[in-house]
Amino acid sequence: MGPKILTVDDSKTIRLIIGKAFKSYDCEVFEACNGVEGLAVASKEKPDIIILDITMPVMDGYETLTKLKSDPDLKGIPVIMLTAEAGRDNVLKIAKQGVRDYLIKPFKEELIVDRVSRIIDLKPKGGTTTKAKRFDDPLRVLVVDDKPAITELIAQGLKDTTWTVTGRATNGEAVDYCHSQNPDAILLSLSLPESAGFTLFQMLRTNNKTKSVPVFGMCVKTAMEDQSRAQQMGFTGIITKPIDMDDIKNKIARALSLDTSYKYFQHKNGVLLVTLPAGFTAHTANEVSIHLRTKISEAVDTGLDKVIFDLSQLKVADISLIKLGLEVIQLTGELSLKLRMMGSEIVSNECRKYEETASWRFAATFEEALAQLSGKELSNA
Amino acid sequence: MKLNLDDLVKCAVVDVFSQAFGLSITPEESGSLILNGEPHVAGAVGFIGEMTGVVYVYCSARLARKIAATTVGLDESSPEADDLVNDTVGEVANMIVGNVKAKLFERGVQTVLTIPSIVRGSNFVIECVSNTERAVRSFRTSENHQVVIEVLLKSAD
Repeated sequence: MGPKILTVDDSKTIRLIIGKAFKSYDCEVFEACNGVEGLAVASKEKPDIIILDITMPVMDGYETLTKLKSDPDLKGIPVIMLTAEAGRDNVLKIAKQGVRDYLIKPFKEELIVDRVSRIIDLKPKGGTTTKAKRFDDPLRVLVVDDKPAITELIAQGLKDTTWTVTGRATNGEAVDYCHSQNPDAILLSLSLPESAGFTLFQMLRTNNKTKSVPVFGMCVKTAMEDQSRAQQMGFTGIITKPIDMDDIKNKIARALSLDTSYKYFQHKNGVLLVTLPAGFTAHTANEVSIHLRTKISEAVDTGLDKVIFDLSQLKVADISLIKLGLEVIQLTGELSLKLRMMGSEIVSNECRKYEETASWRFAATFEEALAQLSGKELSNA
Repeated sequence: MKLNLDDLVKCAVVDVFSQAFGLSITPEESGSLILNGEPHVAGAVGFIGEMTGVVYVYCSARLARKIAATTVGLDESSPEADDLVNDTVGEVANMIVGNVKAKLFERGVQTVLTIPSIVRGSNFVIECVSNTERAVRSFRTSENHQVVIEVLLKSAD
């Protein structure tokens, strides 16, 4: 049985869009049209995630959230809020209420799947249950595009991985390759002549060997009709040109549920060390956040009671970092773990700029942080 | 603070129709609602706070059904079809006004949205009270469907 998703929205349209978005995934979607109904369904079904609208009749999203968080049985359920507002203040307000993420309407189906899959483990229907692969495992990526420059660009962009990129220009060549090689992911141009990309997608989905292989449509950002058609047909995702290589890596990693936790979590000298990389982005924050609870629980299971949160490679503090930091503090606090942060003078100064992070204190080195933790300093930053 | 609400509305309509429904839509130089006896649907969402008003989104029932069909796979024979079309137009209005709200917020104007409501018919006029500013902007989709946005605005005292 797949995970349970509860969507609480007074708009039937939005509920249907959300239901449609998850149709090709192994999950159950429950609906409620206001907060009161939402709480009742949540109590009965114990969903793995709740997608909660803010403006609703009877009981709005904020009140619903407050009631969820005050119910011991429901408070652990991650919530994604649907909001019409952007802006730092609003995001921080939402973050402080314990919301895992937020989405601004209008949103594409692909985006809601993307955000939900960052929090819960979503698998395509009919997917295999093989052992989870790691990001640094060798993977085969097939690029189907009649422009060799695109294949070359992708091959160059994935050079820092252990993945092999193979290009094919026509449907026939691509089918032959799939027959002999079993690709792990397929990047398929939506602008092939005579809609050949869509035809190939249908062929891949009717073939037992390739029906579960993630297929991403590639097109220019402005090709809205192609994107919409691909989404309706059930492509795993869309990659827009100009191509962002990190986007490709992230989308493939998510679609294949690749384990990326080793990049951020390690046990060192009796401490769980959580390291954020120099190229920290909102995506990195989400990746760390997905693994955080599990990794901390695993560490506790093995007898560790100290955590060092290493920000020493960062140069700026932004909303993603603040949200993640607050989450680390909350989780370590819940489990009564000793936490110490590690960071440079630069990041320390950055953090002083914000009310939420002004009190964070940093050790300059791992050794210093370790010494402070061992000196019975119980510091949640 | 001088706010160009017309520009905000234009951006919001173009964004929402392209992002949510994959429809290309263009603002027209001038325009009022052409009813022509054809059934129309109007979705309304109000906003209150430092600015108070209501935004109406008018479109033909044909376009509303097309949007509902694209977005949620409307089944025309379903007894719930009309409800779903209404709901979709309400959501269109909600997204447009939500988009405007976010832009107003960026400019320091705080507002709260109301829940959408719907008016349907072939020959109706919505009139406003005398101390209200009224702005009408017409848009046209690439398939020649008209969409009209009417903003009724009252400055908070």
